[in-house]
Amino acid sequence: MNTIRSPYTFRGGIHPAYNKELAAGAAIRELPMPARLVVPMSQHLGAPAKPVVKVGDTVKSGQLIGEQNGFISAAVHAPAGGKVAAIENTVSASGRACLAVVIETDGSAERQTMPALKAWRGVDRKELAARIGEAGVVGMGGAGFPTRVKLSPPSDKPIDTVILNGAECEPYLTADHRMMIERAGEISVGAEIIRHVLGAKCLRVAIEDNKPDAIAAMEKAFAEMDGDVAVTVLKTSYPQGSEKQQIYSVTGREVPRGGLPMDVGCVVENVSTAYAVWDAVLNGEPLTRRVISVTGDAVSEPSNLLAPCGTLYADLVAACGGIKGKAAKIISGGPMMGFAVGSLDVPTGKTASGLLLLSASRVTAFTSQACISCGRCVDACPMRLAPAELSQFIEADDIEGAEGIALMDCIECGSCAFVCPARRPLVHHMRRGKAAVMAKRAAAKRG
Amino acid sequence: MEYLLLIVSAVLVNNFVLSRFLGICPFLGVSKKISTALGMSGAVMFVMTMASAVTWCLQKFLLAPFGLDKFLQTLTFILVIAALVQLIDIVMKRFAPPLHAALGIFLPLITTNCAVLGAAVLNMKEGFGFFKSVLFGFSAALGFALALLIFTGLREKIERADPPRCFRGVAISLVTAGLLSLAFMGFSGLVK
Amino acid sequence: MEPIITSTLCVGGIGLASAAALAVAEKYLSVKEDPRINKVTEMLPGANCGGCGYAGCADYARKIVNDNVDLTLCAPGGSECAAAIAAFLGRAAGAVEKRVAIVLCCGDDTEAVRRAAYNGITDCAAAQATAGGDKGCTYGCLGYGSCARVCPVDAIAIVNGLAKVDKTRCIACGKCVDVCPRKLIKLVPAAAEIHVLCSSKDKGPAVKKVCGTGCIGCRICTKFADDGAIVMDGFLAVVDYTKRLTNEEVVAKCPGHCIRSDGAGNKETAAAS
Repeated sequence: MNTIRSPYTFRGGIHPAYNKELAAGAAIRELPMPARLVVPMSQHLGAPAKPVVKVGDTVKSGQLIGEQNGFISAAVHAPAGGKVAAIENTVSASGRACLAVVIETDGSAERQTMPALKAWRGVDRKELAARIGEAGVVGMGGAGFPTRVKLSPPSDKPIDTVILNGAECEPYLTADHRMMIERAGEISVGAEIIRHVLGAKCLRVAIEDNKPDAIAAMEKAFAEMDGDVAVTVLKTSYPQGSEKQQIYSVTGREVPRGGLPMDVGCVVENVSTAYAVWDAVLNGEPLTRRVISVTGDAVSEPSNLLAPCGTLYADLVAACGGIKGKAAKIISGGPMMGFAVGSLDVPTGKTASGLLLLSASRVTAFTSQACISCGRCVDACPMRLAPAELSQFIEADDIEGAEGIALMDCIECGSCAFVCPARRPLVHHMRRGKAAVMAKRAAAKRG
Repeated sequence: MEYLLLIVSAVLVNNFVLSRFLGICPFLGVSKKISTALGMSGAVMFVMTMASAVTWCLQKFLLAPFGLDKFLQTLTFILVIAALVQLIDIVMKRFAPPLHAALGIFLPLITTNCAVLGAAVLNMKEGFGFFKSVLFGFSAALGFALALLIFTGLREKIERADPPRCFRGVAISLVTAGLLSLAFMGFSGLVK
Repeated sequence: MEPIITSTLCVGGIGLASAAALAVAEKYLSVKEDPRINKVTEMLPGANCGGCGYAGCADYARKIVNDNVDLTLCAPGGSECAAAIAAFLGRAAGAVEKRVAIVLCCGDDTEAVRRAAYNGITDCAAAQATAGGDKGCTYGCLGYGSCARVCPVDAIAIVNGLAKVDKTRCIACGKCVDVCPRKLIKLVPAAAEIHVLCSSKDKGPAVKKVCGTGCIGCRICTKFADDGAIVMDGFLAVVDYTKRLTNEEVVAKCPGHCIRSDGAGNKETAAAS
């Protein structure tokens, strides 16, 4: 076990004001169980889960309420005991409509868990991966890719390195940071399970150098571990937590265009995901809760709350002393990649790492101007694209033209829009363009 | 060296479109899409080279011996070029229908393209030999193609840009063409 | 020899030689194309809107002549165009019902509330993708003009945050129908004058909360509409355009004020007031 200062870092990127001090010192608090939970069936990437309960059913805490529906999909469990009040459409934090199971909680302490696998080292790898899938564990960094799929790579793609992502490069957010400090032991065991399942040789814990306390906590937790284990200290830069950029920063390997991390023998898992893996294997607990940072200058007490997935944002805000003054902008997730929400009646999910409430002084209402061709977005783009040109193609509705200059490689990190002196909403154009390409491809598939 | 100078002068210094202002019609007409511009360039190259060869022969073997070159040059040249273009039209329709459809009205328009006639007349004025005439015709067409492709590229970009309302469409295209012409003036003095 | 004779001979000779070459080329290289295709192309309106489903008018003409495709697909040309082509080709015409696009929402910014301030790009799909749109009503027109931008004949205008179709200009190409992220635009018979301008499937109280002119599902209109020309789809009244709805009374009786008439009756009341 040693600590490496990474000699690499990705090209481009930006240095926004991190504003992490707001919530970085706030220890994780458990949210009192809300009276009503709206549990979305789509808290992950891929097909939404299929509800297996009916309106009026009584569910126990931890009971399966949505079953995995396809290969890229994940199971959803009840975060608390209670009665199923409704199964209805809701708008998720990302603005998409999805089905949700509404549970009126009854405060019962009865739990339904899977058998614990204390002696996991002796358990078959496939069985471990299946257990992690049964527990509905998904990537908790933001995209929500089912962990079971990541842990079952095809046999022709051997994995030699597991990277534990503790970069948390989004400004404001501190959930992973607090997890690393307060749940270091559990995370280390979870990481060891992931490495064991993948049969990987190396384990790297990637943390940005602006979190020395997290680095120290991780060094201590991983000190006793055998094999090629190291904490890799990365340069603080956004988007250091993005998968492809992080793989380069940690290993110097570049994921090929259109490829996956497994193409270069890597798997990246978030620290919170490692915690969920530990919980699923050693306690048989499904993933129903996560730590979420409620922060921003319009929150009375910025906090890191351990909240059930399905809590309405309004309940979270209430637990943090409510809104201070007036919130001009509410963002689900971080300020760079998060989604602006129109109301607080939106449920959290497994991927919700933060809720940001900003006052008017932090929100600039700006009008975008014509591109002045300065090229700053090209310098900032960590994917080496030309955002200015892409956005011009999309604005002219030339979607094929944009696709021709690698629109689909955009990771929507927001670096380009951040540096644009003309204040052009570049990422918004990219999102629209990508949606148009996806729609076109879906239409082509239908025939 | 002499031939190289001839090419450079025809392509850059005395560019047909941007310095002599010949062939403006297709220059503005088919400069909306690179693919059409490429087709048009190809067609003009072919027609100009062929026209230079045919008109030189005409001048040398028919007009000059009979002393008709003083007053029948324009008439006969146009006649021959028209026939030639028609021929190409028929051939293209047969062997490259998509290109034919893309060029549309502009292919027959080469008939009255002043650039083609200009090349032929200039050949006679300069008193070029056969080979030089053909080379001059070809390089003039090359210059035309260069100007057309640069302009098309610019127009494709302008298409996506957001110019002030009064400049939209043809206005900004003409301004661009003017600036391009100014830029090509920088080549003057390159070849004596 | 006289110059005039040599000139004549020279030009005449060149002309003859060229003509001969062209004639030979025409004979051996020419491509046979059905001359009727060109004629039919000329008869079509030439809007190249693609509403028929083919790549422009020329392509549609080719399909009509070669593949016996239906003549009634051209909305801009309408019945006259189809009849003319049918007469020319000696085929049966079939009637083209003149249709127009209509936006099934009347909640403009005065009537319908916006629940948040949206300052992203001016595009309905993008607005819809941002927290499900800024409009309080999750069914209503967002008013960012994606439909107006795709309209080839400038028939759609955004008035006070609501898209409106100019019936006289619309050629029913259906481009706006495809682009609307909320699927609010429908092609309806141009003869129909009374429409339910609401698409909200929410229950009455929920509709009232977000819009002053929404359908509250009270069913009053179904009683006045002739011959079941208005049917209920859950809590939403929907005009059945296969039937003829002429009873102007439904307009006055609608408590939600979302049934509107754009026909003669409406003009009269406007004149009277």
